[in-house]
Amino acid sequence: MSGGMWAEKYRPKSLDEMVDQTEIVARMKNFVKDRNLPHLLLVGPAGVGKTTSILCLSRDLYGLGYHNYILELNASDERGIDVIREKVKNFARTAAIASEVPFKILILDEADSLTSAAQHALRRTMEIYTRTCRFCLIGNYSENIIDPIQSRCSVFRYSPLPEEGVKKYITSIAEKEKVNLLPEGLDAVYDASTGDLRKAINLLQAAAATQGGEVDDVAIYSVLGKVSPQRVREMINLGIKGEFLEAREILRSLLIDEGLAAEDIIRMVYSELMRMQMPERWKVRISDAVGEVDFRLTQGARAEIQLSTLLAKLALASEEVNERQ
Amino acid sequence: MSANRLPWAVRFRPRIVADIADNKNAINELRLWLRTWEKGIPERRAVFLHGPPGTGKTSSVHVLAEELGFDLLEINASDYRTRTRMEELIGRATTQNVTIFGKRRLILFDEMEGVSGHEDMGGIAAISDIIKTTRVPVVLIATAIAEDNEEKFRPLRDKAQPIEYKPIPTIDIYTKLERIVRELKLNVTPEALEALAIHSGGDLRSAINDMESIARGKGAVTVEDVEGLGNRDKQEYTPIIIQNIFAAKTLQEARRTINQAYVDHEELFDWIYENLPIVLDDKHDLVEGLEALARADIYAKRVRSSSYRLQKYMFNAMTGGVALSRTRSEGFGLRRQVMTAAAKLGYPQNAFVFQETASGLIVKPVKYMGDSWKQINATFRGLGAVWVRSGNGWAIPYLRPPQLKWRYIRTYHSRRKLQSIAVKVAHKCHVSSNDAVSEIIPLLRLIYRDKAMAETTTTWLELEEDEVDWLRS
Repeated sequence: MSGGMWAEKYRPKSLDEMVDQTEIVARMKNFVKDRNLPHLLLVGPAGVGKTTSILCLSRDLYGLGYHNYILELNASDERGIDVIREKVKNFARTAAIASEVPFKILILDEADSLTSAAQHALRRTMEIYTRTCRFCLIGNYSENIIDPIQSRCSVFRYSPLPEEGVKKYITSIAEKEKVNLLPEGLDAVYDASTGDLRKAINLLQAAAATQGGEVDDVAIYSVLGKVSPQRVREMINLGIKGEFLEAREILRSLLIDEGLAAEDIIRMVYSELMRMQMPERWKVRISDAVGEVDFRLTQGARAEIQLSTLLAKLALASEEVNERQ
Repeated sequence: MSANRLPWAVRFRPRIVADIADNKNAINELRLWLRTWEKGIPERRAVFLHGPPGTGKTSSVHVLAEELGFDLLEINASDYRTRTRMEELIGRATTQNVTIFGKRRLILFDEMEGVSGHEDMGGIAAISDIIKTTRVPVVLIATAIAEDNEEKFRPLRDKAQPIEYKPIPTIDIYTKLERIVRELKLNVTPEALEALAIHSGGDLRSAINDMESIARGKGAVTVEDVEGLGNRDKQEYTPIIIQNIFAAKTLQEARRTINQAYVDHEELFDWIYENLPIVLDDKHDLVEGLEALARADIYAKRVRSSSYRLQKYMFNAMTGGVALSRTRSEGFGLRRQVMTAAAKLGYPQNAFVFQETASGLIVKPVKYMGDSWKQINATFRGLGAVWVRSGNGWAIPYLRPPQLKWRYIRTYHSRRKLQSIAVKVAHKCHVSSNDAVSEIIPLLRLIYRDKAMAETTTTWLELEEDEVDWLRS
């Protein structure tokens, strides 16, 4: 077993190496042949090859020194559109010298997390620098990208990877890394990853590191038990039972000790809650409560007080729904 | 007085602009405005510097006066009395724009929040008149314009150009303190420096004062010292205030506590939040109380972004809103908490005797506990308990100080490590640093259990030794 992150080690390096998303890959290969491309908008679920394909395209287009011609930014890491504009300006100002391609590529990940005001500002930036810079925006949902940007981009929709595709890839990595991955282990990896290839590879590597070479389903579940969603579930259960102080203690440890972002916690809380075996009326009420907290967080409210209000509401909602039935 | 007898906050006062910790924008704005006087009298003849204490307001005026060659005439709170007194002091300074030595003048009214409406009769009006006619630049300084002050400063607001100073970022305070530590050869751990920096809440002067008060004489500071500082002068009366809030029957009664509190309202908020679930032990009351507090939090944000006028709604929600949501609670939250904690360790309810006092709960074990005392003591201490040997029991106060701030301070170092690892992981794995923290780093910690894998991963991610230690811990 080797080190480094396997998900990076086995990330395809060229469009020719990509096996899935065949239509998209074919169109991208034409861009490379043409030595030209439009602004791009790549949308689809996590871990299906969005970032990989644009990195492959860049490498095919610019050759080995490709990293001189691309700039990767993540909208959730850059505070505000001004920072992005400034970075784009500095990056695009110097044309792509010593390359047959007259433009550079700016990759903006999680672009769908930008507010619509920020996106309007971005649209201007895209226009101003079109000659020297192509934008490749990446996101999960195209609905969250304003129309004027969508209309300026060539939109690529990535489909979820087929089960066999994910399993084949995982199996081949296990072979190369000399990990004995049992069939139950493979099934567990696939189930837990929900089609997200990066997550699947990371899980495999963590399980291999802790289990020393043989990975079955138990190994995978023991890894899953150590990561945040498990603690989120524990916190929710305490909240429902009315053990508020204990639930708040877990919330504090997630926020402070583990340094999770409030948005990530609320995302996990939401998906856990919706997956629970609870009355439908309860889910509707809780969804509304989560939504309110999520909104308040976007308005800059403090994470802990808002999230703990939600924890207290869990117990109340359970009681009231039970009374009505 | 020789330099080393001076208080450190004075001794290490900035001498040039580059020495000032932060607020570069505000300083630039001030410099620009002062320079417009070179071309004649500008439209606004005064500026109003406002912001929290210890953020460099006064220092920047001193430093810029020196840099641009002004002769500074400074008037402090102690000088504000009456109109006549003010006119005496300033005299002809505002009409003659150069001193007899040919230097240009600059007038500074510092500590304006000290001008009280009644005592300093006409003080504000006098300053307002001076601004109208002055032929030399006038700088006004006040710490954050609070609710009460807004009205008071109204006559000055249109005439003076406001310049806002923000709290100094923790990292800049840290750097300044570190420089003093180096120069004085003190023995202060990085953790203690961080604790001092965070504890100051962006107030550089108080950070320096705190460090001096601990280090004078012994030349060393530990985290525990800083922790002691925080509680020193506040712990005594805050619980009483908080008790009054929870006991209030009317909005007015609850609201009054704001003015009685010695701590600022942010800290008061944290106290209420910490203790609310202990006092409001009924499910319905808890939701209502927390919701009121959550609304207050939203108002706090609105106050900062739009207007101090909204502050009263925040105060109403955090005091009255919380107090009046108490309808069914019995206040046994603490007792229940103790019993739950004990049950977790395998002790039934009747293993202890409970006794209520005005300020807390006395918990006595029924029989000698032997070696297990240690374990229980550690658990109870987490609830704020103190073992009283003479009483053969634990005393647990009903109300406890906010845990949050200290928790942040204690984990500051570790969280900074996490952030620096996250940036590296985000870069190498093409994800956001939030995703690095929530998705990849938890797995990375497992991967680091495999020695061979850990080694190559360290090289690949270009991690420092202390970051590796963090992943292994």
